[in-house]
Amino acid sequence: MSDSEKAKKVVHLFQRPENLKPADVPLELAYDIEQFLYAEADLLDGWKFYDWLGLMAADIHYWAPVRENRLMREMAEEMYPPGTAAHFDENHHMLTERVNRLHTNMSWSEAPPSRTRHLVTNVRAHSTEVADEFAVQSSFHVYRTSSERHQDSVFGKRFDLLRRAENDYGFEVARRTVVFDMSTLLVKNLSQFY
Amino acid sequence: MDVAEFIDAEKGLIRGEIFHNQEIYEQELEQVFARSWVFMAHDSMLPNTGDFMQNYIGEDPVLIVRQADGSVKGFLNQCRHRGMRLCRAERGNAKNFMCSFHGWNYDIGGELIGAPHGEAIYDTIDPDVFRGTQLRLANYKGFIFGTWDESAPEFEEYMGDFAWYFDAYIDRYEGGMEVVGVHKWVLPANWKFNAEQPTSDMYHGEVSHASAFQVMMPIDEETGAPKAWAMEAVGALSEPRGAQFSAPNGHGTGWFSGGLPTMNETIHRWQQETAGEVAERLGPERVNVAGHANIFPNFMMLGNYTFRVTHPRGPDEMEIWAWTMVPKSASAEVKEAIRIDVLRTFSPAGMFEQDDAVNWEEEQRILRGHVARKSPLVYQQMLGKARYDADGLPGKTVPHVYAEEAARGMYQHYADLMGGGSWPELTELKKNRELKERADLAEADGTPGQTGSNAA
Repeated sequence: MSDSEKAKKVVHLFQRPENLKPADVPLELAYDIEQFLYAEADLLDGWKFYDWLGLMAADIHYWAPVRENRLMREMAEEMYPPGTAAHFDENHHMLTERVNRLHTNMSWSEAPPSRTRHLVTNVRAHSTEVADEFAVQSSFHVYRTSSERHQDSVFGKRFDLLRRAENDYGFEVARRTVVFDMSTLLVKNLSQFY
Repeated sequence: MDVAEFIDAEKGLIRGEIFHNQEIYEQELEQVFARSWVFMAHDSMLPNTGDFMQNYIGEDPVLIVRQADGSVKGFLNQCRHRGMRLCRAERGNAKNFMCSFHGWNYDIGGELIGAPHGEAIYDTIDPDVFRGTQLRLANYKGFIFGTWDESAPEFEEYMGDFAWYFDAYIDRYEGGMEVVGVHKWVLPANWKFNAEQPTSDMYHGEVSHASAFQVMMPIDEETGAPKAWAMEAVGALSEPRGAQFSAPNGHGTGWFSGGLPTMNETIHRWQQETAGEVAERLGPERVNVAGHANIFPNFMMLGNYTFRVTHPRGPDEMEIWAWTMVPKSASAEVKEAIRIDVLRTFSPAGMFEQDDAVNWEEEQRILRGHVARKSPLVYQQMLGKARYDADGLPGKTVPHVYAEEAARGMYQHYADLMGGGSWPELTELKKNRELKERADLAEADGTPGQTGSNAA
């Protein structure tokens, strides 16, 4: 794909019309979706990563594009398009490797384990062409402290495709795009999940 | 400040003051960064006229811009009027750069082309005074380096024998390299902790990266055991064979004789398939030379195609800019495998990277302590084992991949620069140092100019 073709493909995710239209799912479903996201956050903060993996669909794509400072006229290109610079670009197997690493007792970046708090907010859900799949946006703040006195914060937004599933929480994540609200990352690593 | 009191490169003893001291840091900006060749851009980052990117030499921002005639120019990203930053985007395309303070307007080569009300308020607008501060550039096989110092040696001379090793990373295949993306992030540690690692420290991999090797190892679905080729690749860490090179200007590189271990099957297969082609192009002894390397002060690379600059941001902070590059001639499948492999290993979310970073962070934190800084750190691996032009390897090498010859070389050069001698003086000093070293080795060994040729 040439650069100009790539550029045409990229639309600033926050400005896509389908992401800006009013939420359209019924109240009870909206509630269930929120509760699912909160439960997921608790699994992550509780270091129950294998349980969390169970909520990731077998065909999940977990992607986080890199962002850059671009001029206003080039704002559509401030997120790197698919197939280029990304912080995460994972399938289920790859996510499992990351979780396995956290359980080796030798993942030094998380030794001793950090303390995190995933705050999930601004949840908006849309129905899709598939009856059991929902496009869900949420904002997050992941606060972390580790070792003696390290602390940092990561803010961002997620664009999820949730699918109804036979598990304790009623849904699984079929697709997740994580957009961090930073160009140069002002944290030492992304050793957690978002 | 005289840093020589903290650096005894001959004995391999270095005191942590050089990672901690603010005064030393300011001196580095002047004596190291402003006098060295620093990586600025790759040709593929700037395909069209007016394409620009911002980069840094130390803390000084520069604009690197593709000109209408196809050449590349670089200049300080600072308006000559009040010192404002001219351009605040990381990259893009521009017809000119207008300062948003008073409207001075510069062309893409850094020449002032207009100042509002200029004719009414200035007697003369002397281009030499009003022009953006120009950077001296060199292009080596698509890699563009810049220096402020007109007296610095030509870039190829600055690299010296390292060019032979650099080619093993960037000139393995016909057509050169292209960039697929970048990661930028900030770490709370001194820039030299990062720089010395690819210069010299392959030793850390076995422990620092144990978790990543363990979980990324591909599994044979039938047996449930790790695949044999991957076990063999990782086995290189515990039974290391290989060598390390140290350059008089502080560059260093090290490699395993079997190549840099990868856990990616697509990349592994491609490396095996193309080894013959690479051997034909570079010679058989260079096929596996691409382990890790640093061009002093801060341009680092790994044989897995991650390339980075670590910008200094005070004595206790660095900003890493890491590009993924791929050989242009590789297949789409291989390029994609490299892109994914790099982001999963050496990006801020990378499973190798984050374990490196925590080491540097803790080192930095501890060096706040008086005794921690006073107690010399031990850089003595393979001390006294250097030889010249041995085993078909140009320049000074030691016959072990776990070695600190290149770290000693890096800090010797660092001390030389920090001493403030002019480039002609330094060049002379290094020439004499090498002649003496070669003579001493010849005397000890009875072989002219070479000794200890025990191939690893």
